[in-house]
Amino acid sequence: MSAQGLTGPRLRLDHLARRRRVNRLMEGLAWVAAAIAIAILGIVVYSVARKGSSELNLNLLTKDPIPFSLTNAPQGLANAFAGSLVIVGLATAMALPVGILVAVYLNEFAPASIRNGVSLVLDILNGVPAIVIGIFVFGLFVVGHGQNGFDGAFALACLMLPLVARATMEVLALVPNSLREAGLGLGIPQWRTTLSIVLPQTIGGIVTGTVLAVARVAGETAPLLFTSSLVGTQTSWNPHHALQSIPVAIFELSESPDPKDHARAWAAALVLLLFILVASLGGRWLATRSRAKMASR
Amino acid sequence: MPKSGHPIRTLAVLAAVAAVFAAVAVGAGAAPAKHAGTTISGAGSTFVAPLVSQWISPLGAAYGYELQYSAVGSGAGITSITARTVDFGASDAPLTPDQFTACNGCEQIPWALGATAVLYNLPGVKNLLHIDGPTLAKIFMGQITTWNDPALAALNPGVSLPSTKISIAHRSDNSGTTFNFTDFLSSASPAWNTQIGRGVAVNWPVGSGGKGSSGVAAIVSQTPGAIGYADIAYALTNHLHYFAVKNKSGKYATPGLRGMLSAASSDVKPAADNSLSIVNPPAKFANAYPISTFTYVIVPLQSSKAPDLKKFLFWAVTKGQTYGPRLLFEPLPKGVLVVAEKAIAKIHS
Amino acid sequence: MTALDLTDAVRRPFTGRRVRFGDVSLQVVAGAAAAATTVLVGLITWKVIDGARPAISRYGLHFIWRIAWNPVVGREVYGAGSFLFGTAITSFFALLLAAPLAMGIALFLSELAPRGFRAPVTALVETLAAVPSVVIGLWGILVLGPALRTHIEGWLHSIFGFIPLFGDPSPAGASIFTAVIVLTIMILPIVSSISRELFLGVPHELKEGALALGTTRWEMVRGVVFPYARGGIAAALILGLGRAMGEAIAVTQVIGGGVFIHANLFGGGDTLASKIAASYQGSTTNLSTASLVYLGLILLVFSLLANVTAQWIVRRVARKHGITRGGHA
Repeated sequence: MSAQGLTGPRLRLDHLARRRRVNRLMEGLAWVAAAIAIAILGIVVYSVARKGSSELNLNLLTKDPIPFSLTNAPQGLANAFAGSLVIVGLATAMALPVGILVAVYLNEFAPASIRNGVSLVLDILNGVPAIVIGIFVFGLFVVGHGQNGFDGAFALACLMLPLVARATMEVLALVPNSLREAGLGLGIPQWRTTLSIVLPQTIGGIVTGTVLAVARVAGETAPLLFTSSLVGTQTSWNPHHALQSIPVAIFELSESPDPKDHARAWAAALVLLLFILVASLGGRWLATRSRAKMASR
Repeated sequence: MPKSGHPIRTLAVLAAVAAVFAAVAVGAGAAPAKHAGTTISGAGSTFVAPLVSQWISPLGAAYGYELQYSAVGSGAGITSITARTVDFGASDAPLTPDQFTACNGCEQIPWALGATAVLYNLPGVKNLLHIDGPTLAKIFMGQITTWNDPALAALNPGVSLPSTKISIAHRSDNSGTTFNFTDFLSSASPAWNTQIGRGVAVNWPVGSGGKGSSGVAAIVSQTPGAIGYADIAYALTNHLHYFAVKNKSGKYATPGLRGMLSAASSDVKPAADNSLSIVNPPAKFANAYPISTFTYVIVPLQSSKAPDLKKFLFWAVTKGQTYGPRLLFEPLPKGVLVVAEKAIAKIHS
Repeated sequence: MTALDLTDAVRRPFTGRRVRFGDVSLQVVAGAAAAATTVLVGLITWKVIDGARPAISRYGLHFIWRIAWNPVVGREVYGAGSFLFGTAITSFFALLLAAPLAMGIALFLSELAPRGFRAPVTALVETLAAVPSVVIGLWGILVLGPALRTHIEGWLHSIFGFIPLFGDPSPAGASIFTAVIVLTIMILPIVSSISRELFLGVPHELKEGALALGTTRWEMVRGVVFPYARGGIAAALILGLGRAMGEAIAVTQVIGGGVFIHANLFGGGDTLASKIAASYQGSTTNLSTASLVYLGLILLVFSLLANVTAQWIVRRVARKHGITRGGHA
């Protein structure tokens, strides 16, 4: 496309003043748009921080909830924090190896047709709404057997898989072929080349992808509503039963009439938000750093 | 220069990490629960949830049971116990014959007596407002839309009612409380009976839906001019006002212990399936609160946790009832208690 | 040049004199993972269709446009019409609000922002995407809804009340309007970040050529950047649409609930996703559960269409214009 093939306004120098005014208006609007986006983020974070700070104390992490409490006994959301740790941890353990293997297969072994096909499959998986994943896991595992933490973890793993796989693929593609050829040229079999020469180069990218995937699913509520929501108030680390989780706790507390429940919901939201922000920003920082490292080779 | 890792070592480390993870997961499952004692899990009615929540710590202290109760609504409670995903279900609406069949060997046992309060939020009006069945039906059908409507004014002479719009809050989920409330409306208003009827969920012509009694209480407490219905315990704990409702004898009764007890004496003999109906009792029960209800625990007759379940239920209908009055649950009347205990004894492993 | 442009002896470990056990194992295990992923997607589709089967056989395709949802036993009838409408309305208006904002942000970040601002502001906008929907929903019920109700709904109703769109304000702030604002906030980061990458990918020569001819910056954007990035912008919008359609939790917290179709933006309603989230736990009959899964099936079809279309366009545009990163969703 050449500069002469411009579509757009014809240039009339005599309307310069008006064109400049329009330009300034549009630039101003763009500034306003960016300001609005930042303002929204600021308002949300500020609301959460201000409303959550009153209940943000050690009790939140160490005491179990006491529903319909008639006394002022200290209570918190310990069961939700424990449950989230277990469920997200298990989800990562499920999604990480599979994601890496899929990426290795697509990038190192697969012919182009399979690669495009499975990439499409990953895109499809990424596009399935979380609530449909919840329905799926419910129908597959929960019906007839009851809810448990493993089901919840599996549902989250389905959401994490495309993110981990895609991140690993991107970073595998960045590994120069000269490395692979060097290994093969030295007589190292392909499997060993892949595992001990190529993959170690990608650890940074894999970690980034995993951290971002964890940040994504740590706040997912819908799949857990179907798979791990009929829970008790006592803290449990046992994934064979349904475990409470932070997003589900926030969801349930948000619909309560009790302002004290709301305060606890805000506090849990604050902790969740902090975790996700640190993970997201940290993940992106790692990504920029590892990309710079790759580029400098 | 690229690092060349040791693949065997990498694989060994990965395998060790995976093994540790697996061991923890399996171990957490196989090991006895952190707190010594059995878990008894239940789900269902939000109506009875305040009372059941009071039982969690004394039950743990008495027998070491860990009671887990999820207030998901009577409908979901019935579904859960039918699917045996919990040890007991709780419902304010008695099971239909179809639900009994689906549940395959369950029985329902009355285990608490409470009342559905008609909540409202009208800042500035301090008096106890009166209302009757037909007017209530008209409000919930959308035919009366403002608080200063003549029908309401007639029932509350001397009270200056504002012209605020009436906002209706009802249940969005399948609810025994809805059943109790619509049961009363159907009994008190022929128009309601034909157009809408009674059920755990109905086609509400107007209003916004809240999930669980908490949801309804939340809408009412946040919306000036709102009206809703929930167990009286939710009005107490959230400092919400409630109506005095006209009973068949013409008296305006409040959802207190006396009103419940009077209503309960109108039906002392449970049916074959242990259900009782005490809505809109006959005129001779002058102090009855007409929207009272028993609420039921649904248990399988055959359960692997039979001894613990029986202990828990015996405790619930005796010692557990003493936690009730604080939250306006009237202890079970003698006759009903006897029936309940007989039913509990039927549970076997 | 990819890993696949290597020598034959490496690409075919099965032929050749020594079949290397390690190579075969790795390929099999990795291939199994890829196969499992494919099977997973097929399983999801199958399970959702299977779960909806009782409703499909009872109602057929009429379910999709029937406007009814009555769970009362004995009078049961279900249909997706009102929720399809709710999804369409909320997504449409959210896109309407988000599109110009997102374009503005993308332009700001690619053309206007001083060097030092770009990275931090980009990070901030992407951080908005990281806020979980349940937190946005919590903020929506307790802060945004009441604020909209007090300051905006009443005001709009008093001025424009004669238009049915601006009917009676919601009693507590839970309304389609609040849901639209919430969805706008949620899709803004995706649309703006893809657009930003597209705008950054426009070749410098084209932009500088236009400026050299004396256009103002806005005219350059209008005449060069937008036409060049046209396809990608469409993809970004479709991707945002897909995201808006699938959002269940934040929407169900703020939308108020309701079955009937009405024109009042300030009234309650439900989308496909929010109805499932609200009613699934309490569904008591087989037919009502199957109908909810049928809603999920419709949702799945639409959001897959949107996401796959958008991803395909993005990848095609990226390949055409030489961007290596295929865009994030």
